[in-house]
Amino acid sequence: MVCEHCKEQQATITVTQVVNGQKSEKHYCEVCAQNFHPFNLDFHKEEQIPIHQLVSNLFGLPVWNNGPQEKAPSTSQKSAKCPTCGFTFRKFLNEGKLGCPQCYETFGKQLPLVLTKIQAGTTHSGKAPGKPNHHNEWIQKQIDSTREQLQLAIHEERFEDAADLRDEIREMERRLERGGVDTP
Amino acid sequence: MNLEHFLKSEAPGWMDVKGLDADIVLSTRIRLARNLDGYRFPLSFTENEAQQIDGMIYEALHSINADGHKFSHFTIKEMPALQRQVLVEKHLISPLLAKKEKSASVHISNDETISIMVNEEDHLRIQCLAPGLQLVETYRIASKLDSKLEEHLPYAFNESFGYLTSCPTNVGTGLRASVMMHLPALTISKQIKVVTQMLARLGMVVRGIYGEGSENLGNIYQISNQVTLGKSEEEILKDLQEVALQIIKNERGAREALLKNSRIILEDRFNRSLGTLKYARIMTSEEAAACLSNVRLGVDVGIINEVPLNVLNECMILIQPGFVQQYAGTTLQASERDMYRAKLLREKLNSNNQKLMEKGEERYDV
Ligand SMILES: [Zn+2]
Ligand SMILES: [Zn+2]
Repeated sequence: MVCEHCKEQQATITVTQVVNGQKSEKHYCEVCAQNFHPFNLDFHKEEQIPIHQLVSNLFGLPVWNNGPQEKAPSTSQKSAKCPTCGFTFRKFLNEGKLGCPQCYETFGKQLPLVLTKIQAGTTHSGKAPGKPNHHNEWIQKQIDSTREQLQLAIHEERFEDAADLRDEIREMERRLERGGVDTP
Repeated sequence: MNLEHFLKSEAPGWMDVKGLDADIVLSTRIRLARNLDGYRFPLSFTENEAQQIDGMIYEALHSINADGHKFSHFTIKEMPALQRQVLVEKHLISPLLAKKEKSASVHISNDETISIMVNEEDHLRIQCLAPGLQLVETYRIASKLDSKLEEHLPYAFNESFGYLTSCPTNVGTGLRASVMMHLPALTISKQIKVVTQMLARLGMVVRGIYGEGSENLGNIYQISNQVTLGKSEEEILKDLQEVALQIIKNERGAREALLKNSRIILEDRFNRSLGTLKYARIMTSEEAAACLSNVRLGVDVGIINEVPLNVLNECMILIQPGFVQQYAGTTLQASERDMYRAKLLREKLNSNNQKLMEKGEERYDV
């Protein structure tokens, strides 16, 4: 099978995605698969899907229709240009990628519209520079759930599994004693 | 270490260590995407910026104590195409990095478990590989290295969007966790479509690897998280872990059912595949991958006993076009590759059998 995108290389990768409850399967070569993301308009344009359809299907972003209620933000969005890399929001949508870290500030208002479609939320939760990690708490939770599995294994007389689980718990406890990890 | 060390026609040492659920999960991969504040992303930066970034990362990596890991540094554009391809096939660099012209480089740890790609899609991509299912362990290694580098590098980070990346599909944690799974029974019993659909609904991406499009060649699937923002690293890993465990359970169930209902058909299939691998003279990568998958399943369920798992791991890597050409010592046409591939497999599988037989005889003598 030939890559559905470049139509040149052999397709070696199958990408499965669910968009609006509909499953789609695409076959790409390795290079094209790397560039695959649902809102890279240029990428999908070559597959002859009309852009406006993609925008409504994949993004659900009404911004481009210039509907009456969207008019005000859409004009300001068009003119905003990132001072560091010169990207506009439109260019971002075409490339599927941002030009520099500052783009996140420049397009800070519009980005959440896109992010809600592709991410679990629009705000980061997790590791941050200089912030201690919650690994200890987490390891403790892991230990508790592994203990439950251990009880179950013993109950069901799966003794080999039980031995493995016991080793796992010991290893985690040892790690906890060492004072967790990741703190410099 | 020189580049030759990383191009050897062997499976990397870490693959020999038996990981958890190693009969189904071939490997775990963790990747962290990071960028440096004040520099444009590789998509739009200048050669000058690229060089500065390359230099800064080199300095940072050499001023930290990386838990005993020693890194070797290679500049992509100085590497011949075939060597780049071999590194891609070993998953040490990405296909995208292999194509980069501007100051792109890679730091590879000597045991091949860690690679740090510089100026790929992001300034920094930290990648850790491990055998079997070890999401938490592998993440810890990556995160530790990341925290140490962070002390020497101005990471681009924003309170609300997290770690900033060129593509918004990576922003936030910058974490992509993947497990490479061998799922022959789910594939044979046509349950894989249902599984794939379920995963997609859970926000996981499923890719068949080195298969020819629709057929997932070698029945190998890579399952990874799609979401990087709005969930913490712990949640991402936990969700993927749960999904992986569920699939392992399904695959085991499907294997049992197959064995129960059609044992003789399976025995025939496994042994035919082994015969093909040992004696064929022309072998496409598709056929080789399919046969290796059958033999692997045969070993997993105890029908085939004469082939060690590490030899199979090795063969799975070596049948790829770059490795076959490296083995031949020259670039080859597809049809020539198929001949060399068959030769390579014959050597790997028959020599091993030889050794086993010798051992067997010794034991018999005693
Ligand atoms: Zn392609
Ligand atoms: Zn910018």
